[in-house]
Amino acid sequence: MYALLRSLRTNRRLLLDLVGRDLKARYVGSTMGFFWSVIFPLLNLLVYMFVFSFVLKTRWGSQSNEETALVMLCGILVWSAFAETVSRSTNTLIENQNLIQKVVFPSEVLPVYLTLSALVNMLIGVVIALAAIAWYAWIAPVDVAQPELSTSVRQIGYGVALCALPVLMALQALFTLGLGLFFATLNLFVRDVYHLMGVGLSVWMFLTPIFYPAKAVEAAGLGWVLTINPMYWLIDSYRLVLMYDEWPRPPVMAAFAAVAVVVFCIGSAFFMRHKPRFPDLM
Amino acid sequence: MTTRNTSITGADSSREGGAGGSALSCRGVSKAYRIYDKPWHRVAELLLPGKRMHREYWALRNVYLDIPHGATVGIIGENGAGKSTLLKVLTGITRPTEGTVAVHGRVSSLLELGAGFHPEFSGRENIRLACSILGMSDEEIAERYPKIVEFSELADFIDRPVKTYSSGMYVRLGFAVASSVDPDILIIDEALSVGDEHFKGKCINRLNEFREQGKTTIFVSHDMGAVKTMCQWVVLLDRGEVLEQGTAEKVADEYLKRAKARGNERLSAINRGTNQYPRWGTGELLTEEIEMLDAQGNAGHVFKTGEPFRVRVHWTAHKAARNPVFGLGMYRSDGTYVNGANHHWRRQPIVLEEVQAGETGVVEMRFDAMPLLAGQYYLTTFLYDHSKAAPTAIDHREHAVTFEVVDAERMQHGMLFLPSHWSVERKRGTEVLRAESEA
Repeated sequence: MYALLRSLRTNRRLLLDLVGRDLKARYVGSTMGFFWSVIFPLLNLLVYMFVFSFVLKTRWGSQSNEETALVMLCGILVWSAFAETVSRSTNTLIENQNLIQKVVFPSEVLPVYLTLSALVNMLIGVVIALAAIAWYAWIAPVDVAQPELSTSVRQIGYGVALCALPVLMALQALFTLGLGLFFATLNLFVRDVYHLMGVGLSVWMFLTPIFYPAKAVEAAGLGWVLTINPMYWLIDSYRLVLMYDEWPRPPVMAAFAAVAVVVFCIGSAFFMRHKPRFPDLM
Repeated sequence: MTTRNTSITGADSSREGGAGGSALSCRGVSKAYRIYDKPWHRVAELLLPGKRMHREYWALRNVYLDIPHGATVGIIGENGAGKSTLLKVLTGITRPTEGTVAVHGRVSSLLELGAGFHPEFSGRENIRLACSILGMSDEEIAERYPKIVEFSELADFIDRPVKTYSSGMYVRLGFAVASSVDPDILIIDEALSVGDEHFKGKCINRLNEFREQGKTTIFVSHDMGAVKTMCQWVVLLDRGEVLEQGTAEKVADEYLKRAKARGNERLSAINRGTNQYPRWGTGELLTEEIEMLDAQGNAGHVFKTGEPFRVRVHWTAHKAARNPVFGLGMYRSDGTYVNGANHHWRRQPIVLEEVQAGETGVVEMRFDAMPLLAGQYYLTTFLYDHSKAAPTAIDHREHAVTFEVVDAERMQHGMLFLPSHWSVERKRGTEVLRAESEA
């Protein structure tokens, strides 16, 4: 792990260039360019709202449609950054085998730049989400469903709690990168990992309350699924911070931090241990 | 394209500082690749660390090399001899399984020009990115950028995406970047065989500059001629082992001997399957075995430029025939017609008035010196009835034998060796100096 951090320090220039290249590649090839990063999550949101709220009539309790949309939006932003990074990282060594086999290349920068690039992209989405939240908080206020067992009155809006955002993002990066490093390495041993990843990630997405309320899961007696799902802890914390100006719950944060650190240690150790063999495994 | 300043140590060997005066040295370097019969064996081995599920393939065995500073060294060998593996080990891309490699200085290798270019990005952006992959700092990039553009001669296209470049332009940009690193040790893997003549010339100039600055160059190729013109010292690799190393002349002989043996093996396999080519005629007489013999009378299909050789065509008459004429056509592998001749169209023609059914014989065509330069060629045999005004085919065999010409001397380029005389005259005031060369 120490070797990994040191290499990132040495190669920070390259890392920044790669992130810049990737962000540009997202927008350069298409005519609409930058706007895709705005339009894409919104389109996604519309589709999921339509399917879950109108077709499947998912019960969000007393929550208004506007609040539901914001809840979904936060979930989609965080989840897509996570899923995209893990899935791209899994294939990144194979995709760049030209570099790994022909050049002395610090391959550990690959999953790192993917993680950073996805986070920057997510941040753009978050800014748009904040604009939408501001609209419903202060310009066209909507009613908010009050959580049970709560003493204070919950309202849409953000404030000081946004200070927790960098912490959330840092922990998310650690968790995502750990998985990315792990699966990138594993994929060299078994190429099927990349394909399994696609299925695995969509199963995981539907097990995470992004498009339906967590209460629905608890009501079905499957609360333990949420208890063991770190991505739920994370997304839920993001929602508190971005939408309600509430601080993330300390036990949840502590648990996520612990999981993120452990995953990162395992992932980076696995990656660095097999790194000398990468050119031979292709 | 790599930069490094360290010594790499194999898994099972002790660390070593490296020999004093050498730029690059290998001590007993071996490299084994693991071969798995089934893909899941890899996973099984990963999960059960004690278990061995692979076979080993030794791409390099016990290689010792000492390359002094400022030397230009050629590494030569057939496909699969271990050249690429040796390069990967020398550049540090992969680690040796056993032994140590010590490198003193910054290595830049041209294993693949333009590795890592992104097609959607402009030449400018790709130069930046490639330079940062090579480990250059911002200042270094800013300083070298104009030189790279100038050398690549792509200033007009530098803001267009690389995907719109021709392959020649791509290679030019790649070479310009890779050679701008200003390395102490430059490793070239036949990368220069691409690009147009003008750019090739520029590349060779740049390599010569490197040499004049006392930098170490390692040149890898399977073309003996190219290595010989570039390098003073040559290492011959075969099946992962250093078979011989020494002066270019010494190793070239050994290499040609082996290339001949290998070529003969390969070509006799090809020649056994020649009936895929067209053959036509009335068939009164049929040509059979076609032998090619060298000066010592050994049959084979590989010849050296300048050595005497003979072609012997065996034949059998199945019916009587009048005035049959045997001929031979020589073609380069791309179909270029080099020469055609027969025993009738000569100042002293041989005329076979009447051939009876059941006769057999041999036609021989002798050459004092092989006039062809290195390359692959083939023979077409002609057997025509010249009793009529316009000759008709009795047995015409297209592409009857394939053969190869090797050339260690490389004194002339092209397809044919043309014996010529040269003289150079110099006038210095009233004094006239004249130098003559007969061969």
